[in-house]
Amino acid sequence: MLLEPIVPTVLSVRRIPNADPALLAAYGADPARHASLGLVTCDQDDALYVALDEATKHAAVDVVFARSFYAGSAHASGALSGEILGVLAAAEPQAIEDGLTALQRCLAHDACFYDADGKRGVTVFPHVIGSLGHYLAREAGLPVGEPMAYLVAPPLEATLGFDAALKAAAVRAVKITPPPTETNFACAWLTGLEPGDLAACEAAATAFAAAVVDVAARPR
Amino acid sequence: MSTTRAMIAALRDRLGAGDPMPPREPLPPVPAPPARVYAPRREQSRFAREAARHTTALVGIGHVGTRYATDVVLQFQAELAVAHHAVAAELPDDWAAAHGFVPLRSRVSTHREFLLRPDLGRRLDGPSLERLRAEADRGVDVQIIVADGLSAVACQQSGPALYATLRVACERRGLRVGTAVCAKFARVWLEDEIGQEVGAKVAVILLGERPGLGTGDGLSAYLVHGPRVGKTDGDRNMMSNIHARGTPPEQAAERLAALAAAMIEQGTSGVGLDLARVPGGDAGRGYRAPQVRQRLVEKGDR
Repeated sequence: MLLEPIVPTVLSVRRIPNADPALLAAYGADPARHASLGLVTCDQDDALYVALDEATKHAAVDVVFARSFYAGSAHASGALSGEILGVLAAAEPQAIEDGLTALQRCLAHDACFYDADGKRGVTVFPHVIGSLGHYLAREAGLPVGEPMAYLVAPPLEATLGFDAALKAAAVRAVKITPPPTETNFACAWLTGLEPGDLAACEAAATAFAAAVVDVAARPR
Repeated sequence: MSTTRAMIAALRDRLGAGDPMPPREPLPPVPAPPARVYAPRREQSRFAREAARHTTALVGIGHVGTRYATDVVLQFQAELAVAHHAVAAELPDDWAAAHGFVPLRSRVSTHREFLLRPDLGRRLDGPSLERLRAEADRGVDVQIIVADGLSAVACQQSGPALYATLRVACERRGLRVGTAVCAKFARVWLEDEIGQEVGAKVAVILLGERPGLGTGDGLSAYLVHGPRVGKTDGDRNMMSNIHARGTPPEQAAERLAALAAAMIEQGTSGVGLDLARVPGGDAGRGYRAPQVRQRLVEKGDR
């Protein structure tokens, strides 16, 4: 089925209510401000990046660690590894709890890859964030609350898709990450030329998804 | 939730996909927050209920749980805002002349200084003193002074009306009334200096009173016999709450004129004045119909 949502699987969710300061420091948290950690692994790295950002909008949590694993979830180091480990840090366990609730809600209902060829041979992540939380806002260098198109696809499909997206609407590239990445996808973050232009981000993401579907159907 | 799913569904339609998108998993229900709902409770005490009929004070207002009812809180905030507005208001410089008063000014230079330095508000500044000496009638029986006091709003609203009725009431008693003056940034004791300068037997200052809840428009009147700098509050008689919902200006003017006449007759004022010998002296001291609270916030059905 074309463009079917591929709902990400949360492989493990655990909390550390009062983590050791050395561990906090090693994972990028600040022992002076953070005590509790929430850890999540998932089989879709980009969906989890978006979900971690969603968590920062719902609870007083910081995303201190989020890294994709090499070669993706098809080549994971264990059954629970997936292709990403994300770590939330907060001053107290309840904030972690609230953040994880928002994160899992986002993964179950919102952020996901889509099947671009009907056989799950090519997948695409044409996600539009209506309002950035402080995690991705910091990563992208945009103000909190701005809309952003978060576009991911395999190398060649993505390259054509980025071109189509940038030409389809009044958007600018915030950051383009060409392949190879850890998971060997390519990624681009776009935002409107005008601040707050959500419609432009949506038009760009639609054009990106259409271009990837087109390449999947006609690779030559 | 982002708009991405709807966006992709529209793209599928455009690409001609025959089958519909799989439905999104339903969102889990949001549990209601733990809360107790309190019904408003009317005041149970008969005493408080009866008392509330006779005052504009906030008594017998009931409660909702441990709080006040919302309409009571809104009413309180609205009335407090009226009071704040009255204190913050400033008498325009050209107001006195426009209403036929000789404009005077105390030694205060700014409104903030007026609030912080009562002592400066009790003395005239140099130019005002010269103007008073040059223009005011001397040796009069009653010198009436209109002033802003702590509520320029009240002074502007009912100052001229009270002045006019009081002047008529005094003249009807055969008293000679002095030149109409209006003082800006004035405190009560400013009447001592003005009365002393014009050599009046009695000085009356009509000024905006310190606003209370819902009464930003109240005037007070202070009378002193033989005004001179250094008189104390023990030498004064006063009348407060002169506004439409308290003592109306017409009624107040009669009583003030009677007091002024009695002061001249008895040759004293304040604690020395025998109020029993004031003709019509019980005016405003006997039974008065209860004041009705003016509702600034309309209450809906509860």
